[in-house]
Amino acid sequence: MANLKFQTVKHDSLFTRLDFRTKLVMMAVITLIAFIWESPIAGGLLTLAVAVACVFAGVRLNYLGTILKFMLPFYLFLLISMGFFNVEQVKLLSGQAELTPLLTLPQSWWLVGGAEMTVEGTLYGLNIVFKTLTMILVIPLGIFTTDVNQMTVGMVRANIPYKIVFIFSSTLRFVPLLLEEVQSIIEAQRLRGLDLERMNWLKRGRVYASVAVPLILNALAKSQKLEVVLQSKAFSGSSNRTYLHESVLTPADYIIMASFIALFAGAMVLYVGFGVGKFPWLLDSSLFSYRS
Amino acid sequence: MEAIATLEQVSYLYPGATEPVLKDISLTIQRGEFLGIIGPTGAGKTTLCLALSGIVPQFYGGRFFGRVTVAGMDTLDYPISQLARHVGTVFEDPEVQLIGTSVENEIAFALENLCVPRAEILARIPRVLAAVRLQGFEQKNPQELSGGQKQRLAIAAALALQPDLLILDEPTSQLDPIGSQEVFATVRTLQQELGIAIVIVSHAAEEMAEFADRIALLSQGRLIAVGSPDDIYAQVELLEQHHLRAPEVSAIYHALGQQGITLPAVPVTLAGGLAALPVISTQGNLAPPPAFSSPVIDQQPPILSAQHLTHVYDNGTQALHDVCLDIRPGEYVLVVGQNGAGKSTLVKHFLNLLQPTEGTVKVRDRDTRHLSVSELARSIGYLAQNPDNQIFNTTVEKEVAFALPYLGYPPNVVQQESLKSLKAMQLWSQRQTHPLSLPKGERARVVIAALLAMQPDIIIFDEPTTGQDYQGACSILEVSRQLHQMGKTVIVITHHLYLMPDYAQRVIVMGQGTILLDAPLRQAYHQTELLQSTYLTPPQSVLLAQELSRLSSQDYPLITPQEFAQCFTPELSEEVWA
Repeated sequence: MANLKFQTVKHDSLFTRLDFRTKLVMMAVITLIAFIWESPIAGGLLTLAVAVACVFAGVRLNYLGTILKFMLPFYLFLLISMGFFNVEQVKLLSGQAELTPLLTLPQSWWLVGGAEMTVEGTLYGLNIVFKTLTMILVIPLGIFTTDVNQMTVGMVRANIPYKIVFIFSSTLRFVPLLLEEVQSIIEAQRLRGLDLERMNWLKRGRVYASVAVPLILNALAKSQKLEVVLQSKAFSGSSNRTYLHESVLTPADYIIMASFIALFAGAMVLYVGFGVGKFPWLLDSSLFSYRS
Repeated sequence: MEAIATLEQVSYLYPGATEPVLKDISLTIQRGEFLGIIGPTGAGKTTLCLALSGIVPQFYGGRFFGRVTVAGMDTLDYPISQLARHVGTVFEDPEVQLIGTSVENEIAFALENLCVPRAEILARIPRVLAAVRLQGFEQKNPQELSGGQKQRLAIAAALALQPDLLILDEPTSQLDPIGSQEVFATVRTLQQELGIAIVIVSHAAEEMAEFADRIALLSQGRLIAVGSPDDIYAQVELLEQHHLRAPEVSAIYHALGQQGITLPAVPVTLAGGLAALPVISTQGNLAPPPAFSSPVIDQQPPILSAQHLTHVYDNGTQALHDVCLDIRPGEYVLVVGQNGAGKSTLVKHFLNLLQPTEGTVKVRDRDTRHLSVSELARSIGYLAQNPDNQIFNTTVEKEVAFALPYLGYPPNVVQQESLKSLKAMQLWSQRQTHPLSLPKGERARVVIAALLAMQPDIIIFDEPTTGQDYQGACSILEVSRQLHQMGKTVIVITHHLYLMPDYAQRVIVMGQGTILLDAPLRQAYHQTELLQSTYLTPPQSVLLAQELSRLSSQDYPLITPQEFAQCFTPELSEEVWA
């Protein structure tokens, strides 16, 4: 049942009490702001705020740790590639003709000798790291704090077609089953004498690929059975149906939705009018000032 | 009696099929009756059920002849959703048919689809949960329920539609005996108290004889016979002809009949069988109890050994407690017990898929903690409950040879070993066939051939008969016998005690993580109170033998219908029943 714990937090908080539509607005606003802001400082603060909210909402720290661990190689690659190669865009964003060198590779190095990593490029990479982290962290904040039933009804009330809502809720229902099946197939392979622990990655890859055969066949058989089951339960995919669960917006929901919309509007005004959240924001005085 | 459903000369071909799966079937189902449908795999039982709910042909298409009506509605004229208000269906696989994220959602789902008002849905949920005794489970995730509870929930979901007809397609084939009993008891209550007509497809002959009002026998798409359980199950030869199993009581009295001891009517239920016993046992035609030799206790060192084995899962569940067990080379051991008794946990220790929390597990004299899973796989072949999970290749031959190169076998040895295995498992002529195109019993044989190529000393069959019809189950058990005759140590985990007397020598009964009994099969089967206390059903032959012992004041340790019938001498039969 570990999968169920993975889907919902046990902890009761403001987030668990909000309607899913409110959380959809919240997720949309945070994602948009994260997407627009180029400043690593503003982006970092936003990521920090969402991470703190996640912890406050009861999302397990080891889950957040797993995300970071999983993303780390990608982020390192991002920082290095941005630091070395993103020159023109960063010049344009910072309004500088020359960028600040952070380190230069020795000339003697083959192929990459003399390449220069810049402070601004690295900071821009950091901004992308924060952007993606915010977008990733906002999902557990919205999804894990919502009961599946509330999510389903909330999505229907938000005028999302019921077929899509059903696919979403069925995924939550059947993905853990599928993962269990993958596990049992790999176990079955090990029991046929395949020493996965001692195989090189190429052989292991080939063995893992063979999992696909029974997995796809089982999934096809299951989906065919599921279709028949759905027929017997008068399922047509039509949104014209009743719902056992109700989705009611409370005053708190309206206030928070309005606050997030206001936050978005405010952020845009500050961004366009005062440069808050633009790449050089707060970096001007400290980092770039000596150049001007 | 008023008919709730009728089939008039129904024939049906699935799209692209050349042979009809239903052939000219005419049948009337009465309101409030309990109709059992029996037949071998491929008889058309499921298709018949789908035809009653309109899914055949409305959903599948194909060519449909004849007429099906449910509650007076022609299934071709009304949409499936409207027919669903009158016909509830419960399917075989408890995992696939539950789609809700909570028990109450599961019940509400079909009602929501039919636009039943929320207040009405809220009123029906407690009613149907009470009918299947699942009150208080409303908020539970269906995945947290046991197999029997899942099927009861599926029944509750069907009941919520307030159907006139409830169809159950092999609802107990994947359940343990407790789950199976729960389902049959629930269905009978519904029929008796709510007057719902029940159509149930099942291989559980003893239960069908007990509960059904009528039995319909289907074979190769044709309706062979319809009648009361007394009529149908008394025709043992007809059942055998269609690869079906009669209840053991019928088999016993039929065999007696063949010996000349004919009854006016062959009893088909345990109660009937017990009631008929005093008549024959007091007439003096009873032979003295046969002498059965005690199994020889082998003094060889054990091939598998668990000493003071305790296992506690990460969540704190103690699955095994101080288990001590030795299995010696060449034994055929049956491990029985309810789900959760600890059978699989024990076996997983032999394979090093689990490590002991306390105690030791040894294969020969080597501690499994020092052996990898793949090293152990060379000594122990494990046939999973679903053999399809162990099939990855496009031909039987490739499948058998699949693992050998990974084990470092040179190509000539791979070829030699796979050839030997294919021949031993009688798969040589099918070596170029796709394994998944074979019947399930044959697919298990392919996996066994693949395991055999690694030359293991021990073969473990994990619930090999679950989901199989009688013929399929017997064909797998015949393979186990063959392996045993080849000198392998065989361990079979199953709930189906009645299938095993001809195969196993020793029985280990597990319950709540401990070994409740470890005894020779004949002795173990007669510990009926202990078996029943852990919800295992002793074969009817055993129960009749115990009654015979009581009546004759002699000990008849019989375990099969054949042994039972042989205890009666035919000479006096005419006098007995005259």
